[in-house]
Amino acid sequence: MTWVTWLQYRYQGAIAAALVAVLAVVLLITGLHAAQVWHSALAGCAKSGSCASLNGTLSLGNPAFTTLILATSAVPLLPGLFWGAPAVASELETGTNQFAWTQSITRRHWLAVKAGWLLLGAAVPAGAVSALVTWWSGPDNALTAGAFCATRFDITYIVPVGYAIFAMALGICAGTLLRRTLPALAVTLAGFAALRVLTTWLRPHYMTPVTAYYKVTAAAFTSAGPYLGISQGFIGPNGQTPPSTSTESVYNSMAVPAVCQQANDANSRWPYLSDR
Amino acid sequence: MTPVIETVGLTKRYRRVIALSDCTISVPEGRISALVGPNGAGKITLLRLLAGLAAPTGGRAKVLGGPPREDPAYLAEIGFLAQDIPLYRRLTAEDHIGIGAHLNSRWDGQLVRERLADLKIPLDRRAGTLSGGQCAQLALALTLAKRPRLLLLDEPLAALDPLARRDFLAALAEAAAGGDLTIVLSSHLIADIERTCDHLILLAESRVQLCGDTETLLAEHRVLTGPRKDTTAIARAHTIVREDTTARQTTLLVKLNGPVIDPAWAVEEPNLEEIVLGYMSADQAGHGTGRLSAVGGER
Repeated sequence: MTWVTWLQYRYQGAIAAALVAVLAVVLLITGLHAAQVWHSALAGCAKSGSCASLNGTLSLGNPAFTTLILATSAVPLLPGLFWGAPAVASELETGTNQFAWTQSITRRHWLAVKAGWLLLGAAVPAGAVSALVTWWSGPDNALTAGAFCATRFDITYIVPVGYAIFAMALGICAGTLLRRTLPALAVTLAGFAALRVLTTWLRPHYMTPVTAYYKVTAAAFTSAGPYLGISQGFIGPNGQTPPSTSTESVYNSMAVPAVCQQANDANSRWPYLSDR
Repeated sequence: MTPVIETVGLTKRYRRVIALSDCTISVPEGRISALVGPNGAGKITLLRLLAGLAAPTGGRAKVLGGPPREDPAYLAEIGFLAQDIPLYRRLTAEDHIGIGAHLNSRWDGQLVRERLADLKIPLDRRAGTLSGGQCAQLALALTLAKRPRLLLLDEPLAALDPLARRDFLAALAEAAAGGDLTIVLSSHLIADIERTCDHLILLAESRVQLCGDTETLLAEHRVLTGPRKDTTAIARAHTIVREDTTARQTTLLVKLNGPVIDPAWAVEEPNLEEIVLGYMSADQAGHGTGRLSAVGGER
């Protein structure tokens, strides 16, 4: 049955491998450049003894590539969508299941081996792309402490592998239950999108956020490690919050609000979810 | 000789509809049995039950000495060719032979290659580019490569042109010539398979109307033609399957319980199609379903 699965998916597998290879070349070229910029900047600021101002002043390369790696958040969906949804549904639609199921193997065996290889076939490309993106994001994560921000967390380390396995399992199940490819495709797409929304919404609630206070007159906020920022704002010396319009303008211009200027011991509040 | 297929009261009920009801049949070894009946009569359901692809909701079946079940040992004995002759369109004949070799413990790939070579069907063309007749021959060859003891064919002729039908039936008859392969072939075109089959199962309205060797069925049925008159005398002695009355004459299909004595009737031997149509239209007329069920030559 392993050989049969290979026979059915060899061309799709080759196309996937080619696409991953193209992405690898692009990310290797731009990633090596970014790493070089980052290390030379680190060496430079270490001499002068102040690396705190790097965030916001240093550019690691064309921001278009940050958008490109953001697009890889769709990668875990693709195997589930194009291989998972038709895996059983297209066999039922064309009747070929009747050929497969009347050889000398049980339907259970047929499905177990096919689904097993497909789940692996979803996890491997997603893992490969994730490994590339994780490596590529290294300097940027260090610069902005942004490894935990939603857009980055979802496309690095093992998270895409989890999403890929979910999408594949959903695609196979939807195709089996709905018995038609197109509706199964739609269900897989909707289920994947719903999971992304759900995890993004749930993630800030996994643990109690840490709230940190900084004087606005001090240097800009720096975190000791990656963090997921939940909210930020200003409070006055007696705990009062400025009107929202002024909070917004302060946030945008990074100017010290009038209400804070009145007292020297004004605090700026930076709540964040720590990585520890 | 123990029959290859023996069912007693086999019933399959889906959530709302009864697909097969109280089906009692018996098919001896080596027969080519025609499973006929109108669309929706339960032919596919019966074949799926026999193949072990579905479980009955009532009654029992004994096929090749045991109940049909989904396990590799049983599936290896069964050849199943589904309606529309499904093959993987993008895979070649050679790929299909490979699939069979990987999914079957007993497999004669060489047999397929030889058959296809005889029929001049290329091994390296995708199945989607072959003609309907070529696909059917490929699918039959693949089914026979399992060396099954029971071959179940679901409407294999439906998609074929007359020439391809003839070739297909010839291949089938050749496969059965050894005598140890039993074939059940569903169709609603009795005329096509009349010459190939030596056994008949007639399903209508999810019930068995006839089951037996064609010779026996032909011997025990007669068409009576005579002037229009009262048929109660005939009905007392024999079983009237179907009655057609015009202004002048009456034509009867009867199942005999002895010789027809009344000289007013012209007695003719019917062909298989007339018998099948007689029972099918009797069923449509709404009478006789209970009376005529499980009529057969074997019991």
